[in-house]
Amino acid sequence: MTTLTNPDTDERLELAPDVPWQTVVWDDPVNLMSYVVRIFREYFGFSHDIATKRMLEVHHDGHAVVAEGAREQMELHAQAMHNYGLWATVRKAPQ
Amino acid sequence: MTHVIFTLTRVEAAHLADLVGQFQALVENSEGDPAVDRLTPDVYPDDAEASREFRSVTRDDLLGRRAHDAATVAADLARIETASVNEALSPVDVSIADLEPWLRTLSAIRLVLASRLGIADGAEHDEDDPAYGLYEWLGYRLEGLIQVAENEI
Repeated sequence: MTTLTNPDTDERLELAPDVPWQTVVWDDPVNLMSYVVRIFREYFGFSHDIATKRMLEVHHDGHAVVAEGAREQMELHAQAMHNYGLWATVRKAPQ
Repeated sequence: MTHVIFTLTRVEAAHLADLVGQFQALVENSEGDPAVDRLTPDVYPDDAEASREFRSVTRDDLLGRRAHDAATVAADLARIETASVNEALSPVDVSIADLEPWLRTLSAIRLVLASRLGIADGAEHDEDDPAYGLYEWLGYRLEGLIQVAENEI
């Protein structure tokens, strides 16, 4: 008999949190690398090293995940990126 | 806020003021312009309906911010005293009380120019096009401002 506190269910909830969304910044040929690093530092509070690493991911891999969490929060981050002129999208985190 | 002195030649300052003025007109009357659409990109590339919904909520705010930033830059540039044409190559200091609107505005103008030049979509662009020189020049000046800002962090 299934109870409300089924341990299997609890475990699945932990493995699949209800916040599987990401803010993704995409490469564009216009924005300066130094500008992208600055935005990542300013807005996300990344260290210079992390900001540079994310920027290089964008540059070399075409995109980088800069945040993960609730959908509404990811939309706010994307809008903030748009405010700086970066090309940002929101997507469900790949399972 | 980062207060900086930005040194340009007078002819550069005049060009910049002109570009910023054109940019202000563009964002205030921007319906259906692909260059302006780049300033409010699709947030869900695979879901046109969700993207439209997001844009309907954010577009006016984003373009309002662009207009506000550009007005700040225009006001900073307007404080430069006029000089005769003989002074075109002489340096002039622009006093910038808040650098952020400058960085965002110069970046946004470059996005618009890139869209006009076909740079944004990776299409072939003519490097002899005088507008390309303008785009490169803006990038050079923006890079300089970013370096100033980096030293302030």
